Amino acid sequence: MRILTGLMLTALSFVAAAQAHLDVQTLVQKEQAYINEQGETDRRLVTADIVVPGETVFYTITFTNVSDESAENVVITNPIAEDLVYVEGSAFGPGTDMQFSIDGGASFANRDELTITEEGVTRPAVARDFTHVRWVMQNTLEAGAQATARFAAVLE
Amino acid sequence: MKLANKYLSSTTLWLRRVSALCFCCVLSNPVFAVGTAVGTVIENTANISYDLAGTPLTLQSNTTTIVVAERINVTTTLLSPQTLVSANDTDQALLFTVTNTGNGSEAFELAIDSNIAGSDFNPTPAVPAIYFDTDGSGDFNAGDVAYTLGVNDPVLAPDASVNVFLVNDIPGTVANGDIGRSELTATSVTGSGAPGTVFAGQGDGGVDAVIGTTGGTAAAVGEYLVSDVLISVTKSQVVTDPTGGSEPIPGATLTYSIAVEVTSSGVATASALTDPIPTFTTFVPGSITLNGAAISDATDGDAGELDNSGAATVVVRLGDLTQADGVQTIVFQVTID
Repeated sequence: MRILTGLMLTALSFVAAAQAHLDVQTLVQKEQAYINEQGETDRRLVTADIVVPGETVFYTITFTNVSDESAENVVITNPIAEDLVYVEGSAFGPGTDMQFSIDGGASFANRDELTITEEGVTRPAVARDFTHVRWVMQNTLEAGAQATARFAAVLE
Repeated sequence: MKLANKYLSSTTLWLRRVSALCFCCVLSNPVFAVGTAVGTVIENTANISYDLAGTPLTLQSNTTTIVVAERINVTTTLLSPQTLVSANDTDQALLFTVTNTGNGSEAFELAIDSNIAGSDFNPTPAVPAIYFDTDGSGDFNAGDVAYTLGVNDPVLAPDASVNVFLVNDIPGTVANGDIGRSELTATSVTGSGAPGTVFAGQGDGGVDAVIGTTGGTAAAVGEYLVSDVLISVTKSQVVTDPTGGSEPIPGATLTYSIAVEVTSSGVATASALTDPIPTFTTFVPGSITLNGAAISDATDGDAGELDNSGAATVVVRLGDLTQADGVQTIVFQVTID
């Protein structure tokens, strides 16, 4: 009986470990023109399934601490797909420091610290150079708390 | 393990991006003009890392997927300069190019309109009126294949273009300086309409086709300028005989004066005056002048000469003349044998 209880406890703790402490959801949207209740043309975000070159897509990452403990050092990293070009200034994340990578996610730095050296000439990195965007939370994500990070990119 | 995989794929991504950028620099991006290929699937997964009770952990979000639809875009560009024509000219061609600026393969219908508002006259479309520049010469000629709507609509790959002629006849009633216009319109066979209009499932490979910024149709207008240049040439002579009189006797000198003037609009391009020395006379060496300035007899860098390659002939090149240039006066002398 004692042995059985031990086994059950082990099984339960295994289940608990497999359960995520954070819930992370990504959403991709694009703008759509529509006629609002006042009969005016307005724009709204709708889920993007298909896009055409030149269209802007908006990625929103929502993360929630579903555990009962505080999460420290929360960092969200999102790649910018090959056919997408980051929209300058679009990264948004309350309470986060935003950083970018120009080397496929190997290293990250603040926007203005990134430079590209081509044929011996160094220039500031531009939006097209970015391969990843990262949000570093300044504070603890308390149990039950939710936060969001966003950026936009244009399909080439 | 997942992290290692992540970095591996990220590195691959980076290399591809770098090579794409280099490509872009060298070829002035012909490929990126049309954008990401139809059907490309773009996935996105966010990574999150955090510490919980001092233990570092990572997670991945769900993966979002977007599919690149076909963007229908087309441009039409006039290649010909303003084309100079005369009344009753036939088969006057204007050259255009139609370019598929969308990201999928697309067929285009072509149409001609020669009744363009604001023109001085309406050119008359020939039958047929639209031809492909089949031989790639840029000149309309017998080797060029006529276009028939719905039969040989050009099918263009992304960024591909085709050169097309509009062929018109010029009416007999036109006046100098009149301008006539003719317009080529290329319209996507899949459809046209307001940018953003979706043709479900009608793109390459069954994806949706979406009308791009050009509305799926594009037109360009070419111009004909009626330029029947009228030139007036007046020749006069003065006889000076050896006795001081004006009798045309042997030994008398004939001073010919030829006035050339453009009396209409338009440009007489590369105009030249040629005047044979009359029989029974002998050219007076060094006697040619143009507007009072001497022209040597030799064939050299100046504007004229005495051409002795056949019967002796005075040649004076006047260049491109317009009404604004006024009267050009050429003088030379001969003696009566």
